[in-house]
Order: sequence, then C-alpha cells, then structure tokens
Amino acid sequence: MRSGLGHAPCPFTTPVWNSPATGSPSRGLRLAGFFESINDGAKMRVLAVQEYFGLAAKAVRFMFARPFYLGDVVQQMDAIGVESLGIVLLTGFFTGMVLALQTSVQMAQFGATMYIGRLVTASMVRELGPVLAAILVAGRVGSGIAAQIGSMRVTEQIDALNTLGVDPIKKLVTPRLIAALIMMPVLTILSDTVGIGGGNVIATAYVGIPTGLYWRTVWEQIASGGFILHYIPADFVQGLTKPFVFGGIIAITGCYFGINTKGGTEGVGNATTRTVVVASVMILVVDYFLTQVLLFLFG
Amino acid sequence: MTDTPGDTKGAPAPPEREEERRANPEEDGEPRLRRAEDELRARFAEELQEGEETQERIGASREAIVELDHVSLAFDRPILENVSLVARRGETIVIAGESGTGKSTILKLILRLLAPDSGRVIVDGEVLNDVTYEEALVIRQKMGMVFQGAALFDSMSVFENIAFPLREHTTLNEDEIEARVREKLEFVDLEPDRVMGQLPAELSGGMKKRVGIARGMAVNPAIMLYDEPTSGLDPLTTGTITRLVMKLQRELKVTSVVVSHDIRSAFRMATKIALLAERRIVFFGSPEEMTASQDRYVQDFLGGV
Repeated sequence: MRSGLGHAPCPFTTPVWNSPATGSPSRGLRLAGFFESINDGAKMRVLAVQEYFGLAAKAVRFMFARPFYLGDVVQQMDAIGVESLGIVLLTGFFTGMVLALQTSVQMAQFGATMYIGRLVTASMVRELGPVLAAILVAGRVGSGIAAQIGSMRVTEQIDALNTLGVDPIKKLVTPRLIAALIMMPVLTILSDTVGIGGGNVIATAYVGIPTGLYWRTVWEQIASGGFILHYIPADFVQGLTKPFVFGGIIAITGCYFGINTKGGTEGVGNATTRTVVVASVMILVVDYFLTQVLLFLFG
Repeated sequence: MTDTPGDTKGAPAPPEREEERRANPEEDGEPRLRRAEDELRARFAEELQEGEETQERIGASREAIVELDHVSLAFDRPILENVSLVARRGETIVIAGESGTGKSTILKLILRLLAPDSGRVIVDGEVLNDVTYEEALVIRQKMGMVFQGAALFDSMSVFENIAFPLREHTTLNEDEIEARVREKLEFVDLEPDRVMGQLPAELSGGMKKRVGIARGMAVNPAIMLYDEPTSGLDPLTTGTITRLVMKLQRELKVTSVVVSHDIRSAFRMATKIALLAERRIVFFGSPEEMTASQDRYVQDFLGGV
C-alpha cells in the first residue's frame, strides 16, 4: 500500500506508452518494446478496474458502519438532487414533447395517433428518462464531485483526513454514493413525469388528442407490463433499477478520478473531464446490458 | 556528535562543490574547518543560545517515542536508504536537508501513510510496519500533523476544522468542544470570537498555519509533526510560528518532528537536528554539535544558508 487511501496512482494519468529509445534499435528490440508497452498498458487498466470496484465495495461496506455522516449525506442529496432538478426537468419536458411530435408524424401514417401516450410513456419510463437524467447528472454532478475531491487531494486535505484518523472513503465517498443512489431515482421519476406531461401538451395542442384519452393510454402502457407484488408496475421496476445503478456509477466514477487526481489544478481539470467521459460511456454501455437483463426478468 | 544508531557518514558533496574544493586545495584541512565553525557559531549565536535554553526547559526524557530503525524506501527510484532516527519524549527533532531528499517522506512513514521496504518504524512502542489500514487510523490519533499549506478543510469554518477531530474521536458534548476550540485558538494567539466563524479562504497564510496547529493539537496528541511550518511566510510570521512550536513543547511537553530547511528556526527549536542528503542521514545531533561538526557536507549546508 503506497498511498493513504490504499490506491495506486490513477493509471489514466500515467503515461503508458514509453517514448522510443534513442538510437536505432533493431526491429526485434522495437517489437519487444512494443509488446512490453501493450502488456504494461493492459496491466494498468486491469489494476484501474480492480481499484474502481475496490473503491465501490469499500464505499458500500461503510454504509453499514458507524459513524454515518448523515449531515454530509443530506448536503450531498441537496447538491446532487435539488440543484440538478431544474436542468433535469427542463430536459425531460422537452424530450417528452419532441417524442410526441416525432411519433405523431409516424403514427399519422397508420391512423394510430391515439397511441402517442403509450409510446411516449414506454420511451420515457423505460429508457430516455433514466438515461438522459443520468447523463445530465454525470455532466453536472459527476464533474463537480471529481473537482471537489480532486482539489482536496492536491491541497492535502485528503491526507489531512487520513492523519486525523478518518477514512476519506467513509467521509467523502460513502455520503456521495448514498445521496446519488437515493436522488437519481427521484430525479428520474420527476423527469419521466414532466416528460409524459410534455407529450400531453403536444398531443393535445398539436395533434388534437383529448387529455383524458392521452392519460388513459399512458396508464394502459404502464399496466401492460404487468404488476410485481400486485401493485408495482413492472415498467416502474425497470425504470427505477436503471437510475439506481447509474447513480452509483456517477458517484463512484467522480470519487475515483477525484481521489486519484495528480498534478495540481491541471490534474483537477483532467479528473473532471475523465469523469464525464467515463461515466457517460459507462451509463450507455451498462444501460444496454441492464436492459437485456431486465427484459429477460420482466419482459 | 550523535546518538543515532544509523549511518551518519558524510554523503558525497554535490559535484560542483567537489570541483571547487579541488580547485582550492589550500582551503582544505583543520584551519578551514575551525574557521568555519567559529563563523557558524557567531552567525547562529542567538539561535543556539535560545535552543540551549529550550532544551533545559524541556528536560527531555530518554524514552524513545518515535523511532526509525534502518529504514529504506524506494518507488521508481530509491527515496530513503538505511535511515535511522530517534525522537525521545519531549524532544523536538528537526529534519533538514535540500529539497527532494525525502524529508516529508519520513513524516509519511511515521504517520504510516507509507510503509518502509525494509527497517522498522516504531511509534509509542508500536511497530507500524505490519499494522492494518484500520489500526493505522487509530495510531494516527496519537499524532497531530501540520501541513505545509495547512490543509484546512475549505468547506468548513475555523471552528468546524478544529472541532472535527474532537467530534470524530472524543465523546465531548458541544459545549465542551467549543471550550476546547477556544482554548486551542487562544494557545495559538488567535482571537476565538474573531476567527471561529471564518472560512479558511478568509485567513492569511500565517493564520492558516496557526489554525492548522490548533487543529493538530485539538485532541492533545503526544506527538506533533510539522511539514515545512515556516515555508512561504514572512520573517515576522516565521518567528511567530517558531515560537509557537517552542511553546508547545515547553508548556505541553509534546514531542515534535519538524521537517524544515529553515535552519535558523531549526536552531531555535530543535533538541536534535537530522540532516538528510542523498537519501541518507549524514548528521544527527544537537544544534551545538552541528556547528561543531567537521563533516564537509554539514559545513557546506550551513555555509550555504
């Protein structure tokens, strides 16, 4: 263990490819060097993945150990949830409207515009609501987490926590993880709701579907997937499992790159950029596999 | 000159100084060294006298509280080689040396933020080499650390910064915590009512250092560690911080390990000075012994101050 947090330096900040040797080495030597670089690079990435999941596991374990830092959790819920509300609602509303607009054009060809509500609901609840909200929160909150923790790293505040006998993962990562796990589903529910509401505005004002009919088709869609434990629509389970997982990805990715920040303010900038890129890509990739699993389980 | 169990042989002097010496062979030998010693005594007379008085007042015991025993550490390149160091209860050890010689690494070893490749680090009778991460967190509560940039939590007020270790590790109620915070702020010559509500960003460099000291000593640790406590400060503030470190050892009998290249402050506060060069300790002894040392590197180091 070399650092106070028990993490090796972030492999993404370490140059993996060695600069070419001086002189003109033989082809065999260059080839050996090339394969050695690939080998080193692969090891670094495996190590990074191992540390990423190690951080996640430790943060989850600390959720059940005293002290709980409830004040920090509430503060983070405010930063992650309440402060992201505006942008998530605005995006959700316009996404719902544009969905209704596009589907109305397509549905009109088959005389099926009355099903706009079903399509908007299915898209928003199952896919667009969770993914869009998560990508927005990754950009706004994930980068913020990385910047905040990265600044603490470069100004030795994380070392200070360690020297004061406090585990920085417990104090910094766990509260952010809990807050993200709680707030992402809440944001997604609100985003879904205003998205479907946005669809209603277009369906009523542009296509001419009565509001009552629109909401009836919305309910039909929700009920069509069946219910779990008699009361919980299967679509909701799908729609809320995703943001829960995405919340974890955003919090852990931000914390991981923040903790491994190196190189002063430039390092903080790099950490925030990497957080947004890695978290967004992870959200989209995980979304695919999660969808496969959820469709298999709930249809 | 020393009571260190480690290697105190002179490290090779920097090449340019070696060349200088070769160019002036008549400057070598006893007369030069005696002259240099006299010059150094004259230059640091005031600091040495203050240092001697400090040592008398402290009356350091012989019980070792921090010990590095033949410690070596390497990352991509060797950082420390065969370093040995003993701080006895109540002593102030100053670790001096050029930049990049591994001074701050020694503090990280004492705090068990790093583990040595070989050798042992012993704090208050506990060998830190094999302790777990969780055990190290507990051991660190015996130590207070003052960082070069103070490392105050910038999202917390001065009060919350000092109260933080108390809330974490004690069962004091809020009134008792406030009383303790006030006591520590007064100890470091800050007005509690004026600074308690301020954020670190609103403080000057010297004030930040003092709040850092107050936070470090909040839980009344037996050992205080300082990383360059006077760097980046004006001479007056440097004097204030140095006096504060001395006050801490004098009044609270705290053992201090100070990393510094400010040799004037070191002479005032140190009971022992360890001089690091080329990854090794080349001198370990009292300030008086340091000025009397005939080691060429020590002479060069003091001459260059």
